Order: sequence, then C-alpha cells, then structure tokens
Amino acid sequence: MVVYGLLAALAVFICFGGNYLTGQSMMERPLVVGLVTGILMGDMKTGILMGASLEAIFLGNVNIGGVIAAEPVTATTLATTFAIISNIEQKAALTLAVPIGMLAAFVVMFLKNVFMNIFAPILDKAAKENNQKTIVALHYGTWIIYYLIISSISFIGIVAGSGPVELFVENIPQNVMNGLSAAGGLLPAVGFAMLMKLLWDNKLAVFYLLGFVLTAYLQLPAVAVAVIGGVICIVSAQRDLEIKDLMTTRSTVANTNGLSTQEAEEEDFFA
Amino acid sequence: MRGQENLTTEDKKMLRSVFWRSWTMNASRTGATQYHAVGVIYTLLPVINRFYKTKEEQAEAIIRHTTWFNATMHINNFIMGLVASMEKRNSEDPTFDASSITAVKASLMGPISGIGDSFFWGILRVIAAGIGISIANTGSFLGAIVFLLLYNIPAFFIHYYALYSGYSVGANFIQRMYESGGMKILTKCSSMLGLMMMGSMTASNVKFKTILEVSVKGSDQVMKIQDYLNQLFIGIVPLTVTFLAFWMLKKKVNVNVVMLSIMVLGILLGLLGIC
Repeated sequence: MVVYGLLAALAVFICFGGNYLTGQSMMERPLVVGLVTGILMGDMKTGILMGASLEAIFLGNVNIGGVIAAEPVTATTLATTFAIISNIEQKAALTLAVPIGMLAAFVVMFLKNVFMNIFAPILDKAAKENNQKTIVALHYGTWIIYYLIISSISFIGIVAGSGPVELFVENIPQNVMNGLSAAGGLLPAVGFAMLMKLLWDNKLAVFYLLGFVLTAYLQLPAVAVAVIGGVICIVSAQRDLEIKDLMTTRSTVANTNGLSTQEAEEEDFFA
Repeated sequence: MRGQENLTTEDKKMLRSVFWRSWTMNASRTGATQYHAVGVIYTLLPVINRFYKTKEEQAEAIIRHTTWFNATMHINNFIMGLVASMEKRNSEDPTFDASSITAVKASLMGPISGIGDSFFWGILRVIAAGIGISIANTGSFLGAIVFLLLYNIPAFFIHYYALYSGYSVGANFIQRMYESGGMKILTKCSSMLGLMMMGSMTASNVKFKTILEVSVKGSDQVMKIQDYLNQLFIGIVPLTVTFLAFWMLKKKVNVNVVMLSIMVLGILLGLLGIC
C-alpha cells in the first residue's frame, strides 16, 4: 500500500506541479492525470478510461478566479488508483471521485489562502532589500512546498483509505451500486451548468440547443460541431461588422447633411 | 516569429527572458494577499534590472509589484508587456507617475481575465477535451496527447503575441477595442461558440438510461419507458438535469450542494429500481 501511496503522490506532483511550471498546460486535467496514474500503477487502459470519464465530470470544474468546487487532480488520482488496486467497478469509482475532490478542494483552499500567507512577509522583506536571489528561491521554493503538501493528501488517502473503500465496495447492495452508476452518468451536468453560467446570454441560448441536437440526433463529434460553430461565428461577426460600419456612416452622413443644408439652399437660389 | 520588427536587440533579449520566465508565473504562492506576486516579480526581473541601475530604484520597482495579481495564463502576458513598456518610460521620464503602473495592472486584470477565461477555459479547452475524451474512450493513450497539443499549440502563440503586442501597443489598446465595439463582437462570438460546444458536450457526456418497464395486461410485450422517452426527445433527461443544475447555480446555490443533490438523486433512482 505504501508503494501505491507514493506512486499516487508522484502522479499528483508530476501533473499538478508540472501544470503550473509549464504555463497551466492542462496537465492537471483528468485526461492527463488518468493516463499518468494508469502508467504508474501498471494499468494504462483503466487509467485512460477513468481519465476520459472524469474529464467529462470535471469539465466544468474550472479554476476561475481562484475558486474551485472540487480538486480534479487528487480526485482523479485516488479514484483511478482505487479502480486499479481494489478492483472497484469503474462507474462506482467515478462517484467516489466527487467527495474526494471536494475534500481535497477544501484543503487546497486552506493551503493557498491561509497557510501560504506565512511566506508573504519574506517577500516583503526581500523586496525592500532588493534581494533578488531570495525572490527566485521563494518562487521555486513555494512551488515545491505547496505541491508536496497537496501530493501528500493522496499518499494518506491511499494508505488510510483503501481498507475502508474495499470493505464498502464488497458489501454494497446491487441497487445502490446502480444508483451510484446513474449518479456518475448525470454528474457531468453540473460541470456543463457551471460553464454555461460563464457563457450564458439569453439571446444566444438557442445555440446551446443547436449544439445539443447536432450531437444527440445527428451524432456529430465535437470537431464537427466546433467547425459548424466557427462558420456561424464568422458569418455573424461579418454581419455585425457591416451593421457597425453602416451605423457609423449613417451618423456621419447625418452630420454632414446638417451642416450643408444652408449651402444646398444657396445653390438652389443661384440655380 | 513576427511582432519583433521595431525592437532593438536589447529589447529582444529582455523580452525573450521575460517570455520564458512567464511560463512559471502562476507556480508560486505567497498567500491570499499577494497571490501570484512572486511570479510577477520573477517574470519582470529582467525588465527591472535593465531599466533601473541603482539598488534603491530596483527595490522600489520590486515593492511596486508585490501587490495582489491573478489573471488568466497566457493572456496575462499582455499585461506583462504593457508593464514592461511603462517601467521603461518611468525610468526615462522623471515626471511619469509610477503609481499608474499599478493602476493599469489592477484595472486590466479583470477584463483580460474575462476574455481569457471564456476563451481558454470555455472554448479552447472544451474543444480539445471533447476530442481528447472521444479518443480516450477507445482506450488509446493518444487522447491525452491530442488534448494537450490541441490546447497548447494555440496557447503558445497567444502567450508569445500577447507579450510582444503588450510591449508595443501600449495602454490605450484595450480601451480603443472597447470603444470601437470590436470587443463586443469578440465576446459575442466566443459565447456563441462556447454555448454550442456546451450543448454538444452535454449530449455526449451526460448519460441517463432507465430500466423501467411496464407490462401491459393481456399482452406478452413489455413497454420500455426509455423508448418512449427517446421518442419524445432524445436526451430529455440529461438536458433537464443540466438545466436544473444551471438554474440552481444561477440561484446562487453552492456548487457542492448541486453536486451532492445529483448524487442523492442518482442513488434514489437506483433504490427505486428506476435505473
């Protein structure tokens, strides 16, 4: 168990820490975390499949303005690890990821908003003294400390949690299992709802329905929908630009007309 | 790459260093009051050391950047470019008001992140993830690789051009975009495309299937409820649940509460033998 715990912590550190060192390159997303965890645990296929399902669940779980509802990296790593080492059915492992993610998010919020404050005075002092070496050390040092602490959550989770999790899974009644699977299928709805809140505009809401029908009825893949969306965007942007030009020319025409009425009258008089 | 025509060799050298440092900008944290300030200072060190020669001036510039900073990755480089050009003017022009640097930084964070979040998180990532998920669902490791490439190649170019355009166009650019109405069209297009992707992803990722059957008296055949639901509208349950979650979020219900209620709903459906 300790080995699995260390491997899980390593997966979190690679994905989460690596993500922020490479300009938030999305290595922290379940698609990548699932793959990395799968490779480390020796079952790549389960890792990939778990990653794909969790990516959909956490798709809307975006790290905007520093507020997160669930922390997808720890959630994906632990759920994938349990799916591999405890032989839990994948769909049930998915639902397991949600409470884990919430718990981890709480720890992360505490870490970044409360605990990391202890480093603030060091920065203030270094700034006053123009101590640039300390600033560089602080930059990489807080990175290591922060992500080491987050990784240790997964270590503890695996070492302490795998026993109870296995016991729970062995004794779970069939219809509760079905219910957990159903919940796993419906959970991505929350993710999309969160993203919709970000993008929603009553006038544009019909495009949501268009995208839905294109995939539900015509079975179009994401690429095709993106291209159709792109075409609509370009057409509508061109029209908006034309309208904008029209408005500006109309107002300039109106202005020049206003000035030149007198001249026009004079011309009429002389004609 | 383009965008470097009017720059001196020294400018280029400095911006190249800023460019590489800026990838780690959000890596460090020093708490809620400073957020990514350390990353900002680390990114701007080449600028500060080039334009200010005395220890006191350098310290003053570093202190200026210890303020709270958090903006969407990649496009935050526009602010870095802008700040670099303002630090340059500040070092040359004694009448320049240094506090305007902080003001520009603080006032641009919001609008820049507004566009950045909906573009990077709402569109680029969703499209990349949609394609990545569909490949990964077949069990192929290429899903994650394609996802990373699709996201990071455009991101790399934006990261680059944001920095150089910020350095060369100056502070009036965003304001001009707003006044000309170009920003409005850009925002509209990104919301439109984003919503369409949302709809498509809802259809392919939110799943529901009932096992409920009704047997008709005097007939051997059973009526599968799912077939009737499909005739009504394919995906009616996922769509309803998504809108319900959306409505709850709009009513300011905590997202964890929404998630938990969906889990409870799922378990209830299982206990009642519906799913």
